[in-house]
Amino acid sequence: MDLIPQAFSDAVLLAGLYTLMAVGLSLGFGVVRIINFAHGEMIMLGAYGAFWLFTLFGVDPLISLPALIVVGYVVGWLLFKGFIAKVLDAPHINQILLTFGLGLAIQHIAIILWTGNARSATPVYATSSFLIGDVLVVHGRLVAFAVAVVMVAALIAWLRWSETGLATRAVAENRAAATLMGVDVRRIYALSFGVSCALGVATGVVVSFILTITPFMGFPMLVKAIAIVILGGLGSIPGTVIGALVLAFAETFASYYLPEGSGWAEGIAFVLIIGILILRPRGILGEAVET
Amino acid sequence: MNMRYVSVSLWVAGLLLALLTPVFGSPTMVDITFRTCSLVVLAVSWNLMASAGLISLGHSAFFGLGGYAAILATNSAGTPFWLSLLGSLVAGAILGLGLALITGKMRGIYFAITTLAVSEGLRVIAVMLPDLTGGAKGAYLAPDNFPGAFTVNMAMGIAAVGTCLIAWAISRSRYHFAFRAMRANEGASQMLGIYPLKYRAAITAISGSVASLAGAVEVWHGGYIDPALAFDLHITITSQIAPILGGIYTLSGPVLGAVATTLIGDATRIGLGHIEGASLLVFGLILVGCVLYLPQGIRGGIAQFLDRRSKRSASTPMPADAGQR
Repeated sequence: MDLIPQAFSDAVLLAGLYTLMAVGLSLGFGVVRIINFAHGEMIMLGAYGAFWLFTLFGVDPLISLPALIVVGYVVGWLLFKGFIAKVLDAPHINQILLTFGLGLAIQHIAIILWTGNARSATPVYATSSFLIGDVLVVHGRLVAFAVAVVMVAALIAWLRWSETGLATRAVAENRAAATLMGVDVRRIYALSFGVSCALGVATGVVVSFILTITPFMGFPMLVKAIAIVILGGLGSIPGTVIGALVLAFAETFASYYLPEGSGWAEGIAFVLIIGILILRPRGILGEAVET
Repeated sequence: MNMRYVSVSLWVAGLLLALLTPVFGSPTMVDITFRTCSLVVLAVSWNLMASAGLISLGHSAFFGLGGYAAILATNSAGTPFWLSLLGSLVAGAILGLGLALITGKMRGIYFAITTLAVSEGLRVIAVMLPDLTGGAKGAYLAPDNFPGAFTVNMAMGIAAVGTCLIAWAISRSRYHFAFRAMRANEGASQMLGIYPLKYRAAITAISGSVASLAGAVEVWHGGYIDPALAFDLHITITSQIAPILGGIYTLSGPVLGAVATTLIGDATRIGLGHIEGASLLVFGLILVGCVLYLPQGIRGGIAQFLDRRSKRSASTPMPADAGQR
């Protein structure tokens, strides 16, 4: 059987999920100029939220998604007000270490609350599948892809047409000029950090019925998200989509065609990070970002 | 009372303690000293990079690489103990150099990201090459060349003392000022005639090689290595928390911090050991707390306290830059 159509379909579906995973990180960086090393933990929290609502109350992850997004926004807003706002003008090292420390603390609170056991939400569509020709499509992955497309489209629409979205873009482009135009920069920072975390949580909800959920799941996903964001250029949404496609295709084809490929696929994010830093540090579509 | 004599005698006492405990100490003392010395090496190494403006979020990469280099050298070629340590030093220096060259002109965030990716990448490689590394099951050290526990403990003590001496030598040299300039503003430092890449490559090579050494001695100590152990996030975290807790960019800060971190780690293990994850939660909170409220660490806190006291007795102003060295 020819594997290429199957690999192609798998990669496209995965790319949707990866875009959602990385776009929040990219937004946070583009606007607040801080890489949130706790972003993986937001994904983890979203996954646990969906899992518990499903297991305890039988709420389908797709139904709990909107509520959890709101919770994610509030958590992000609080993290910003409580911690991030204090290091906005501090050296990079403080910002990096602060978000890293926050991620560490959140991860271990999760371990204390929910143990390190692996779990998974199992709505019916998680494992059911259908065939198109020779290509097997798992419903859960298709649902995840659809959610990702809707969320990213909503993000783009918000940035393009709403007033706060416009203000957010203005701040991302030129903080000083935005201030002069009467934009409350601090408010926009808090807002976009909240949205960034909400996108992380949304990723987690979607992931809850695709991958196994553990308190440690955030860190590898963070590395992948960073690879995507670097690949596409920090702070660019089309770039993020391309980065996600590249990573998803590289990983999927590696796991289909290399011996023991699924193990090696985990290292591809790392290879891409190193490669892109050597060849084109601005990313594929990125503008020069001074850090 | 002259502060300088106090600090010199504290240093001498600390270094002697590191070297004499393996000879005279009780088993518990030897164990605590070993772990403290290991963390001193890592913390001083991390701080060396940080003092040049390079934040490592993947110090376990060096640690793990050193461990694997040592175990591979001795298991496959029968390399004796001391020679295997030399091999690890070289391996760590090469990785450090490579990092400096790859990240090139990019600073801060990119360097941090790359180190994080390197340690993840090395972990994947270690898992995926079972013929070479033993894969996920890990590898045991062949006991033929084992020089005895005493020698290994001494080696870690010597490594800690040596690392401190290197850091001291750097702090006395022009490198110290070059790093401070680079940290503050790399562009401006270039105008002063500093060629940043040269200094950066030198510091990452030195820092990487000593961190690898710690990993190598740890392998001889434990006799076993696997990818999860070698590239453990715990190593990365403790080697950055120690200098931050003690006092970043200083000579004594990482050492103070390493002692404090080891003690805090042991205390949480004893006190909260029944709660899985509690000790790393404490470290996470310490990291956040230090960044927000104690940016100069314990050392800065002590300096402030002494400053206030001396102000009360005699009104001599402290230099603003105190604690930078």
